[in-house]
Amino acid sequence: MKFALRLTTLGIVFIAMFSVIGLRLWFIQVAEGPQIARAAEEATWVGKTSFAARGDIYDRNGTLLATSRMVPAVMVDRTFVQPEQREELVQELASIVGIDPVRIDALYDEAGINGRFQVSTVSNETAYAINESLDELPGVEVVKVPERVYLTGPTMAHVIGHLGLPEQSDLDERKDLERDVRIGKLGIERVYDEALQGTSGTVEYRVRRGEIIEQRPPVDPVAGSSLVLNLDLALQEQVELALESGVALSNEVKEQEREKGEEVFSETERAAAVVLDVNTFDVLALASYPDFDPQLFVAGIDESTFEGLNDMKAFNNLAVSGLYPPASTFKAITYTAKLEENLPFPTDVEGIDGELVSCDGTLELSALADGSPQVKRDWYNPRNLGWLDIHGALENSCNIFFWNVALGTYQAYNGKANENILQDWATRLGYGRETGIDLTSEAPGIVPTRQLFEKYKAHQLENPDEPPRLEPSRLDLASPWLGGDLMDFAIGQGAFTSTPLQVASSYAVLVNGGTILEPRVVREIVGSDGEVIPVDRPDPVTVEIDPATRASLLEDLGRVVNGGTAAGAFTDFGDGVENIGGKTGTAQSTATRDNHAWFVGVAPLDKPSYVVAVLIDEGGSGGQVAAPVARNIMQYLSGNEQTPIVQGEEAD
Amino acid sequence: MAVISRLREVAVDRGRNRSDRILFGTMLALSGFGLLMVYSATSSTGFAGMERQMIFVAAGLTIYAVISNIDYRELKNLIPIVAGVVVLALLGVYLFEPVNGAQRWIPLGFFALQPAEFAKVVVILLLAAVLSPHNRDELLTQRQLTWPTVFRALVIVALPAALILFEPDLGTTLVFGFILFVMLFVAGATWRQMLALAATAALGVVVVLQQKLLATYQLDRIRVLFDPLVDQSALGIRYNIQQSRYAVGSGQLFGRGLFAEGTQTSFEYVPEQETDFIFTAVAEQLGFVGGILVIAAFAVIVWRLLVIAANARDRFGALIAAGLAAMMMFHVFVNVGMTIGIMPVTGIPLPFLSAGGSFYLAMTISLGIANSIWLMRTPVPGENQLT
Repeated sequence: MKFALRLTTLGIVFIAMFSVIGLRLWFIQVAEGPQIARAAEEATWVGKTSFAARGDIYDRNGTLLATSRMVPAVMVDRTFVQPEQREELVQELASIVGIDPVRIDALYDEAGINGRFQVSTVSNETAYAINESLDELPGVEVVKVPERVYLTGPTMAHVIGHLGLPEQSDLDERKDLERDVRIGKLGIERVYDEALQGTSGTVEYRVRRGEIIEQRPPVDPVAGSSLVLNLDLALQEQVELALESGVALSNEVKEQEREKGEEVFSETERAAAVVLDVNTFDVLALASYPDFDPQLFVAGIDESTFEGLNDMKAFNNLAVSGLYPPASTFKAITYTAKLEENLPFPTDVEGIDGELVSCDGTLELSALADGSPQVKRDWYNPRNLGWLDIHGALENSCNIFFWNVALGTYQAYNGKANENILQDWATRLGYGRETGIDLTSEAPGIVPTRQLFEKYKAHQLENPDEPPRLEPSRLDLASPWLGGDLMDFAIGQGAFTSTPLQVASSYAVLVNGGTILEPRVVREIVGSDGEVIPVDRPDPVTVEIDPATRASLLEDLGRVVNGGTAAGAFTDFGDGVENIGGKTGTAQSTATRDNHAWFVGVAPLDKPSYVVAVLIDEGGSGGQVAAPVARNIMQYLSGNEQTPIVQGEEAD
Repeated sequence: MAVISRLREVAVDRGRNRSDRILFGTMLALSGFGLLMVYSATSSTGFAGMERQMIFVAAGLTIYAVISNIDYRELKNLIPIVAGVVVLALLGVYLFEPVNGAQRWIPLGFFALQPAEFAKVVVILLLAAVLSPHNRDELLTQRQLTWPTVFRALVIVALPAALILFEPDLGTTLVFGFILFVMLFVAGATWRQMLALAATAALGVVVVLQQKLLATYQLDRIRVLFDPLVDQSALGIRYNIQQSRYAVGSGQLFGRGLFAEGTQTSFEYVPEQETDFIFTAVAEQLGFVGGILVIAAFAVIVWRLLVIAANARDRFGALIAAGLAAMMMFHVFVNVGMTIGIMPVTGIPLPFLSAGGSFYLAMTISLGIANSIWLMRTPVPGENQLT
């Protein structure tokens, strides 16, 4: 190629390069120019948030439980900070506010160019000091931000919950969130966060070289809606006091047992209780022990305090997330199923005469699958109660009677379409699924069936390294589900787990005539404009229960309190004890843990209006420890004088 | 006195030839316009920015006049000395504290010398010397470059390019690459040699990416061109590009007018607008019409440089002019391209418009040499003519 040709080629390439620039310039300035100009105009406006006050929380009587106050906070607007001023500013702020400069640097970066971020809330004195020296702090201003105030301290902590800064996942999920504004982390603070949060206002302005040159009319913030709870603060206080006493009582009993040389595994540390309106499923009180003060999170909880509380499981709301076998409290459901479905008794077991069962402490099972004689012992009723019908069996919590109901059912229906007839009653009454309460971390619990055990077996065979759910010997059987499992189920034991709320809810259905609803802790949402919105509730579901069955159950629950396993705990109840019913329960967990103590109370029997479920985690005997706690609460609800929580009789 | 008499000796005998007036006029127009834009971009902080630039323009035009009148062929003898000084200066930058994370400058009190800008001109001279025929025989027998010559050219570029790459100044390093490529082509490289060079460059890119030799911000600058959904780390760069696009787009056809209130550039949303991003100020205030006129002015300069290359009396001069054309072209393409979103953000200034002393002086020296080549295009009677 000749030299001239090479130069010409070069010229052509250069012409092409100039053309690319020219065409692109035409595209940006002329073809797309108007759109880009509009976008550019909009981009010169900077938004500044004015924060909305978080909604208040009231109990059912209008007592204020949680509110917001406006406190000074230090904000930095990066628009007004020149890059070379940054380092000095961060150091300065760190020393004034008392925060690690590394943390401020991180916030600075997160905020992005022209972004705005909150360094922290400060005392009025610090705010005053900063306002005095704003000239030396570019981009800094002190604004009022809402801060939560919990007026009742730890009372109702698990229901109300607490606040914290949003996680990245929250920010991704909800576009309305501000990085600086705290959101609910637990309880109704979390569930109703969007209503409580309110809507931030904005002031939009244009800045030129650090000065505001133009401003749009500000949009004022709209305060968050308030919540009115179904809970009654006075009742809640009584419930929480009673639980604390119940835990102390349990430890007292354990001390005595130790002295007697009986085996005790651990101290009692946890308990939970629910008071539920049986007709409306309004939650009147819901408590978990131990608790925490949600105010700790407002200023920022320190790590050791948090870890300490976390180790105690103080943040766990055991009333909705604690899982325990319902134990003998479940006999009321087996009782109802027996009467409603006319479940058969076994024909080849000794100690059954018509509808009467010999409650002598042992049940010989010669008829079970492998044919060898087996004996099941009722450890809690080792004494001979004689021949009992279904009413006496409930009153005295006779395991043998209810075992026989399960055994008869197993023999009659095993492998047939209705083999889950007992479990179906449990499911219908709300076991094995969330109740749908408006709280966080609700656990569904487990209703064991053959199908579930088959699933466990398959999983276990495929994953031999995981901790087994079934005993290894079960894996060799044709089916891992045995008659003994149904017998355990009938008395609320075995693989069966439930929450205190589920137990309360199931009793509510049994005594209200068969209506099941989702429990609610919040009654209504009141907008900042005064508009009242009742909380959202799905339609009630009806469970068919014969009124005669209900009447019979109510009467027998009365017998439990007035002569049965809870009689000792209720002796000094006071007036109207004959109108009180209930059921004790003592749940066996593992071989190395103490039993969980249960009591479910129902009142008044002639026109049931509430149930009280009490659980003392590893608390011992239901009749001895849980029933006195429930009695104390029910005394308050009945308007009786509350007598001290002392131990009742040791009963199942 | 000896220096002056030597200067007289080498001074161009204009003979019948006149200076390239179009080249000079365009340079003057761009320089004046540049002062206006620097004033517009920095007026918020007073006149200091423009006053400084006026001093550079005055100095630059003087140097242009002096160099125009030196026979460019004399430069061949000066090259070893000048090259030595430039390499020392390029090493010298490492003696001083980094500014904004880079060591590119030698502070001289009233201004900071940026040796890399002068290195470009020196490398063009070196390459022209190496790539042009050394005697009559070579000129007559060799139409193509030999492999050893190509290799020598590579080595000449590699040393300063490497020094500048570590300052770090990736943009200026790439200028060297472009100059090398263009000058080899003009000097008669074969297609094989060009392909080998391209392959080497491609391999170099792969190695750089593989070995993660680029800093994150450098990768981000390239990434934002292609990926509109960049992550947080690249937001700052995206912001620059976005603001630059807003400013250019807002100019539309006729612009918002010089010194118009409420412009993107006057809001100071656009960074570095008196230096690397000065074209955004032009485009916003004077619109497409103003922008295309500026680009046309650069096209004129590039055109004049190619004409000078075509008319040079020897291959040395022709190659210098072609190299200068490549340098000018690359600067305009990358700088303007960056403001309109077709090239990554690099610190390559716009000739004559961007504020900055070293670069302005380097540019006037370049055009001074070009003018010298133009003046010397016709042999003086009795002169031993090589071409």
